[in-house]
Amino acid sequence: MTTIAEKPTADGTADRVRQLREAKDDSVSRAEGWRRRGPLLPALIFMIVVTQIPFLFTLYYSTQSWNLVRPGSQAFVGLQNYVDVFQDSQFREVAVNTVILIVGTVIISVVLGLLLALLLDRAFLGRGIVRTLLITPFLVTPVAGALLWKTTMFDPVFGIVNFVLSPFGVGQVDWVSKFPLASVMVNLVWQWTPFMMLLILAGLQSMPRDILEAARVDGAKPFAMFRELTLPHLRRFIELGAVLGAIYLINTFDAIYMMTQGGPGTASANLPFYIYQRAFLGFDIGQAAAMGVIVVIATIVVATLALRLIFKSFTGNEEAA
Amino acid sequence: MSTDTAAAPVESTPTAPETKRARKHRKFSPWSVVAWIVALGFFFPVAWMVLTAFKQEGDAYTTPPKLFFTPTLDQFKAVLDSGIGTALLNSAFATAMSTILVLVLGVPAAFALSLRPVRKTKDALFFFISTKMLPIVAAIIPLYVIVNDIGLLDNIWALIILYTAMNVPIAVWMMRSFFLEVPGELLEAASMDGASLWTSVREVILPLVSPGIAATALICVIFSWNEFFFAVNLTAVQAQTIPVFLVGFITGEGLYWARLSAAATLAALPVILAGWVAQNKLVRGLSFGAIK
Amino acid sequence: MADIAYKGASCIYENADTLAVDTLDLDIEDGEFIVLVGPSGSGKSTALRMLAGLEDIDEGTIEIGGKDMVGVPSKDRDIAMVFQNYALYPNKTVGENMGFALKMRGVGVEERKKKVADAAKLLDLTDYLDRKPGKLSGGQRQRVAMGRAIVREPQVFCMDEPLSNLDAKLRVQTRTQIAALQRRLGTTTVYVTHDQVEAMTMGDRVAVLKNGKLQQFSAPTELYDRPTNAFVAGFIGSPAMNLMTMPIVSDGVRLGNSTLALERDQLSALHAAGLETVTVGVRPEQLELSTGDGGIEVIVDLVEELGSESYVHTHIAGDGTQLTARSLTRTPARLADTVSLHKRDGAVHLFHPETGERIGD
Repeated sequence: MTTIAEKPTADGTADRVRQLREAKDDSVSRAEGWRRRGPLLPALIFMIVVTQIPFLFTLYYSTQSWNLVRPGSQAFVGLQNYVDVFQDSQFREVAVNTVILIVGTVIISVVLGLLLALLLDRAFLGRGIVRTLLITPFLVTPVAGALLWKTTMFDPVFGIVNFVLSPFGVGQVDWVSKFPLASVMVNLVWQWTPFMMLLILAGLQSMPRDILEAARVDGAKPFAMFRELTLPHLRRFIELGAVLGAIYLINTFDAIYMMTQGGPGTASANLPFYIYQRAFLGFDIGQAAAMGVIVVIATIVVATLALRLIFKSFTGNEEAA
Repeated sequence: MSTDTAAAPVESTPTAPETKRARKHRKFSPWSVVAWIVALGFFFPVAWMVLTAFKQEGDAYTTPPKLFFTPTLDQFKAVLDSGIGTALLNSAFATAMSTILVLVLGVPAAFALSLRPVRKTKDALFFFISTKMLPIVAAIIPLYVIVNDIGLLDNIWALIILYTAMNVPIAVWMMRSFFLEVPGELLEAASMDGASLWTSVREVILPLVSPGIAATALICVIFSWNEFFFAVNLTAVQAQTIPVFLVGFITGEGLYWARLSAAATLAALPVILAGWVAQNKLVRGLSFGAIK
Repeated sequence: MADIAYKGASCIYENADTLAVDTLDLDIEDGEFIVLVGPSGSGKSTALRMLAGLEDIDEGTIEIGGKDMVGVPSKDRDIAMVFQNYALYPNKTVGENMGFALKMRGVGVEERKKKVADAAKLLDLTDYLDRKPGKLSGGQRQRVAMGRAIVREPQVFCMDEPLSNLDAKLRVQTRTQIAALQRRLGTTTVYVTHDQVEAMTMGDRVAVLKNGKLQQFSAPTELYDRPTNAFVAGFIGSPAMNLMTMPIVSDGVRLGNSTLALERDQLSALHAAGLETVTVGVRPEQLELSTGDGGIEVIVDLVEELGSESYVHTHIAGDGTQLTARSLTRTPARLADTVSLHKRDGAVHLFHPETGERIGD
């Protein structure tokens, strides 16, 4: 029979543990380390090569004055391109457009998405079909969707929108010409509301029902429950949706290309489209590159937010050992 | 608005057993009617597009818009005759190849980042997701130059490589979230039963995550097929994908709405179907595995 | 079949500066059924997993059949483990689950089928061989987990709280089945539980662990009759032993308004240790309610009637020390009654007031 009495543990244990741990870490072989890293490497190397190298080139080009129309004119001009870009009033206008587009679309689609998610949170006849119908706008090829809105919906004479609004006295409005940015936004909201709805719906369904039941027993009214319990729980889902959506929306190109070509003038151009024009229609590589770098820097701010959200509030689980 | 629900979750993943009370379905409540109306409203443009694809050109271009007409397949025939075949093949090939590449690269990477954690796991994950967050417009110029220089302009392989790079981060995060759902005890049990790591993966883990792999593949298909920016800048005639074809079709056809609708329907249909099939796992892909 | 020896085995926690298992020494004979018991965080599961190869042996060694297991991976140790959550392969049938280890070893299909069928008969699983775990009840899944272990005919069985997910009735039933099975198969078994009733009824010997350190390793009756420290005394036995630290007086210990008499050798041991107070342990069945004089005056707080016996929870009038006594009569007392407790014949347990070590015999 073996017995050991309880001795008071001094800090000796902590040191002993540390020693053991060091010995252990040393002995985990190098081979094992590489064996574990192995499966990761192909993907990692591939991504580094394909994504980082072009961006480095963009940085390099942004310091060049280089217009493809004038071959042989490539010359180092330092930060001159950036100065020119910031002084370009069209660039500023386009930047503002981009912000309006993103902020407006995100806000409206989050609100609509929230309402739709609330509607879908309860079971009813055909709920599965309803959800399937609602996600379709997100799946439709953006180019096809933009085409759809431009022609069959927004056309001044034959479009559905005017047809539906005609009882309210709306005439044959040429939406795309008169309200280019708004028209693009309508298309984008149509496309992105399902995205927000899905995220928020997942949030609603991950909410433990018993706290709602407890609140009901405690006498809370439905709106109070929504405000005090549901909304706080949904907050991180809404935040994630807004930030992720903003990041995807920065790249909006298809809708503008298809619906307005940025026009009239640059009234409905956003940064990606403007850069595209500069590079592929104006052939000014240097300036386009500089604009690209500026967009990247601006995106980093939003992206940092997104990453922090994804890492902190959601990846709470630890990897299996 | 009441949020106390009688809901059964829409997802197919099992949840805690519902009490009898929670099973009450309010089948015809006013809110469900509203839901139906809104859903039909959102779906309407797509439905209208498909409807118009079956019209004669004259029926498409009417005021007020026509709901009843004699359907015809002429528009589809016209579209198919005008060379959509190449674009369809290109899109299909680019989508399939890039998805396969994404899985080949991404699944092992996700495995390394979840079940056999590497020291710099968080850093690697951060890197992958950061590549998704930088605007692609910033890279298009050098990409054009590089692709041109290596002679891959208007070659479908340029797109395949770029689409793979576009989707690998999503696949890695998504597959990682599926791998993390495998109970650690299963691996331990397999190890006690004498299985080597590779055998455990093959016999135990892969069968469990195969729905996840399927969902990841479908999401890659959706994003690759719908991609336009790279396609329009890096391809011309030979490697043209569907979205690019559609744009060309419009400038060529101008005001032939029925025909346009037929083209758009053909362009969008495969992905809509893929999305409907994968819809349960769609959220996971969109949120990088953060939300189930 | 093999004997097992833990020699100074330790294991560190992943993210903390403490030891999950601290210098564990256990000598387990071939064919014994050993139970590791203790509260949560006592290191019992970790100790088991070290044996199975699922946790590293950071210090010391573990030997199975005389062979050192440090650095030997699980799959080479010839140990079968039953997990708390069963860890059945969800995409395989019951038959495939049970035959998996044999398949890994390269055993032929026919022989595999036969062995699986034999084990299934033993566990009453023959009708379920083609079902998948998802379609089984908790109790059935538990049996499949056992079957998976049995089929392998290993040197050692490791069981990590295999009954904790079953309802109470099933637990008692399965407990006896497991004990009977082990006796029949004769395989050395190490069994982890937090339930001391399981420990007492199933083990040939029981090791009590606390904070990673071994407290006592002996047969159940020895644990009950001669706990080596206050922790073991309070852990084993339900309801728990009454433990209180009281001042020593000339012929015993002061309890409330009376003196609890001690044996002569106990008194001399106390005297030799130079103590003024001592922790006294008295089991509920050593106390009886009576009306005679000289008992400890207590006030009744709660009476628990179990049908076969009753437990009277009281506190000493004036000082609040709680005492629980067992009674074999119905309605032994009523709430707020003042009653008198007498110690039945037999020595009480004495423990050092600071270290908790047993004093005297």
